[in-house]
Amino acid sequence: MPKPSDLLQGTVDLLILKTIARKPLHGWGIAKQIQTLSGDTLSVGQGSLYPALHRLENQGWICADWEESDLGRPAKVYSLTPEGRKQLERELKSWNRLSSAVHLLIQNA
Amino acid sequence: MRTIRIVKRRIHSLLHRSGADAELQREIEIHIQQLTNEAVAAGMTEAEARAMALRGFGPIDQIKEKCRDTRRVSWIHDFVQDLRYGVRMLRKSPAFTAIAVITLALGIGANTAIFSIVDAVLLRSLPYRDPNQLVLMFDVPLNRPDELSGISYRDFTECRAQNRVFSQMAGNTFHDLTLTRAGEPAIVNTADVTPEIFPLLNAKPLLGRTLLPEDGKPGAAAVAVMSENLWRSRFGSNPGLIGQSIALDMRSFTVVGILPASFRYPEGAPRQDVWISVMQDPLFGPLTSEPGVRLLGVIGRLKPGVSLAKAQAEMNTLGARLAKEFAAEDSGLTIRIQPYRQAVVGNLKPALLILLSAVGLLLAIACANIANLLLAKATSRGREVAVRIALGASRARIVWQLLTESALLGLLGGVAGVLLAAWAVWSLQRFLPSEVVQISSIHVGGPVLVFALLLSLAAALAFGLAPALLATPSSLPTNLKEGGERTGQRGGQHVRSFLAIAEISLAMVLLVAGGLLIRSFALVTSVNPGFDPNNVTEGEVSLPQFQYSTPQQWTAFSTELLARLHAQPGFEDSALAAPLPMDRQGQATFAFSIVGNPPLPPGKSTTADYATVSPGYFHVMRIPLLRGRFFSEQDSPSNPRVAIVSETLARRYFPNQDPIGRQMRFGFPPNGNVSREIVGVVGDVRDVALSQKPGPMMYVPFAQAPLYGGEVVVRSSLSVSNVAASIRQAVHSIDKELPVTDVGSLPDMLGQSISRERFRTFLLGSFSAIALVLAAVGIFGVMSYSASQRTHEIGIRMALGAQRRDVLHLILGQGAKLALMGLAIGVVLAFLLTRLIASLLYSVSATDPLTFGAVAIVLFGVAMTACYIPARRAMRVDPMVALRYQ
Repeated sequence: MPKPSDLLQGTVDLLILKTIARKPLHGWGIAKQIQTLSGDTLSVGQGSLYPALHRLENQGWICADWEESDLGRPAKVYSLTPEGRKQLERELKSWNRLSSAVHLLIQNA
Repeated sequence: MRTIRIVKRRIHSLLHRSGADAELQREIEIHIQQLTNEAVAAGMTEAEARAMALRGFGPIDQIKEKCRDTRRVSWIHDFVQDLRYGVRMLRKSPAFTAIAVITLALGIGANTAIFSIVDAVLLRSLPYRDPNQLVLMFDVPLNRPDELSGISYRDFTECRAQNRVFSQMAGNTFHDLTLTRAGEPAIVNTADVTPEIFPLLNAKPLLGRTLLPEDGKPGAAAVAVMSENLWRSRFGSNPGLIGQSIALDMRSFTVVGILPASFRYPEGAPRQDVWISVMQDPLFGPLTSEPGVRLLGVIGRLKPGVSLAKAQAEMNTLGARLAKEFAAEDSGLTIRIQPYRQAVVGNLKPALLILLSAVGLLLAIACANIANLLLAKATSRGREVAVRIALGASRARIVWQLLTESALLGLLGGVAGVLLAAWAVWSLQRFLPSEVVQISSIHVGGPVLVFALLLSLAAALAFGLAPALLATPSSLPTNLKEGGERTGQRGGQHVRSFLAIAEISLAMVLLVAGGLLIRSFALVTSVNPGFDPNNVTEGEVSLPQFQYSTPQQWTAFSTELLARLHAQPGFEDSALAAPLPMDRQGQATFAFSIVGNPPLPPGKSTTADYATVSPGYFHVMRIPLLRGRFFSEQDSPSNPRVAIVSETLARRYFPNQDPIGRQMRFGFPPNGNVSREIVGVVGDVRDVALSQKPGPMMYVPFAQAPLYGGEVVVRSSLSVSNVAASIRQAVHSIDKELPVTDVGSLPDMLGQSISRERFRTFLLGSFSAIALVLAAVGIFGVMSYSASQRTHEIGIRMALGAQRRDVLHLILGQGAKLALMGLAIGVVLAFLLTRLIASLLYSVSATDPLTFGAVAIVLFGVAMTACYIPARRAMRVDPMVALRYQ
């Protein structure tokens, strides 16, 4: 199995926000979800996942609560705040701008 | 909304830190459990799965630390933690802490003490409204703009009326008057002013009113404004005093107002008791109509928006107009203005800046010392640092922690320094030269404390940064491999040597400066003043001029007083003179001309210092007679006028001639422009200052040129207090309402005249002594450390046959190299810097080779002594032990 590629700096935030925008999730779930939804192409290492979660929480984009979970015990479940939703839109826009620019560059170069 | 959420979270994580940490631990634990579960599901045993999960998760502690760092408040936790840790480290090594704090306290204390003087003298704002608008005005000769003198009353009124640049202008002078009919007769310091001075300085009375313009007119009723202090001490704060009359020099003045004790002009003048119109002063009142007497100090307030240059230009025009209109008195003169503050503190500024630089150097040495100590400590803490980095601490984090420790040390030193400074300022107060005390009260107040705080932190950064950076190498592996024992050793040794060299060179600069001042001071104090002050007591007698208003009365009083003094048992000789050498009120200088010489070209004049003395004066002062005769009782008002000149006057103005029998004229007392025959030549006397070479001097008999008072001088082997009591008794037996003031021994008075020199010599001397000690401690520290690091090497050398003597030479040689390099740099620095103190030196060159040489030898000797102790220790190294070690 090829190793999932390293993530572009700064995209972790986008992936986390996008993932929990669908439904609130705990850290383990977020990591799994990213890996699954990207068809095992992307993986977020724990070394960057948890600091990123804590940073987003401290910035007020996401909030967390200890809830009963599918893991069989209470887990810290993260969900998007209204501001986080706006932030996600901003990040999506800038990601789209970036990726289409990269796409254009690759096609025309 | 988001902001509130963020703030709430930060507060939460600040207050519930352990809770937050526990949550983080649980969160990570769940993740690891899930990884384990997956592995178990894939067929591993529980233990294998757990181990793989832990491996897969990564460095847990580092990840946790990263999460904590996102909390943004973590720096507060870190700071508190660093502080606790710092306190623990400092308590763990009390010897280090004590040495560092004492060193720093000396450095910061000296700086704070000097800064408190600078603050009071140069920085604190003047207690007047818009002080930058205040300027002083002086008459100056056109070709000698530094020869400031007062302004005549007529010229003052002309300027006041004609200028367009000042909103207000006022004149003032001072006079001691005798207050009677209110308890014991007392001398009151009286300010003779023009009434504009009160609105100009925005002086508001506590009670009653200040002087009104009509009080300043000639012929107005005599009124006085009294100071709060005199009102409280003499009149029991009686509000009914307003409208009552007091007697000044036996004349009635109606008290119209009380001024608060805080009001003084000039700022911080020693004591002002009474303000009256200059017109009402018994001495100066009549002189206001003499346009040749420049009696007034003049202060003006610039109109808003008027620059100094514009005001000076206006005064140049005015001065030229006055010189033309009143050529008799004002020809060759112009008017110069100076900002008030500059005029008041101008002569103190250079000395203060020099002292401030000196203490700056001292602090630099202290910082170098502490940096050295910290470096040595940092080296031994290498392993601790390595372990912390391995556990996930970032380099910045550790540098911060080490800096927090330094800051803690800095603040401890700062607190000790401020206490030291407060004590020093308190105990030095009475040694302060009078000008400094007069400027303003000196205390360790708000701005000084802020200065001390900033200085402590700056010092902490200065001595803490290099050791902190050296203690945290960027490459971790080598560090762990070497066991952390030698962290930063190589770089550290260089830095340490550099610091030791810097310390020695800075100490050299301070020691040379201190040495030059001490030499200069020794020369000043050993100078022969031209008279013998030992066993001479002086006291001032001043006659109230409304009661004793004619020269005949003054002569009669002085003759009577001298007769009674001569009759006192135990008095070898006594006399009356005005002024005495080194008189606090300065010397009188008058122009003179020699009868029979061709007239001098216009604009040139010959001047000499003037004293009026009774016949016994030269005996009392033991001033030698070189030619002719002393004054005698026969030189009375009815006999021909005579004068005695000093050796310098005779040599300069009668070259190759015999001055005896020649006539000279000088214009004092006013209208006394009569010729006097020179009857004697006496030895030169240093009358202005001990450090100033004697100039030409002329003496006249008191009986022929009496004054309303003078200084009694008595030569006696009795104690000063006995002599003082006898003088008082003699004066009071003539007039029991006459006060005798400023009684003291002449040597004491001479001592006071050099208080400024003594003060700065004492300060710089102390600073350089401290610098010497600190430099010695510094080089001792470096050499001890270096010797202990070389134990292994020394062991090998000894095993290979090196003698103890060789080891001693090895270590001493290393120290000597450092000391010599420091001295070489220090000589160059001192050579460049000591010229700044050239103006403070008396007959010593700023590059005096003797001082430079002596300082270099002393410093080298001290440095070598400091090296000797570690060298002895190294010499005793047992090669077996040294080789087994490490």
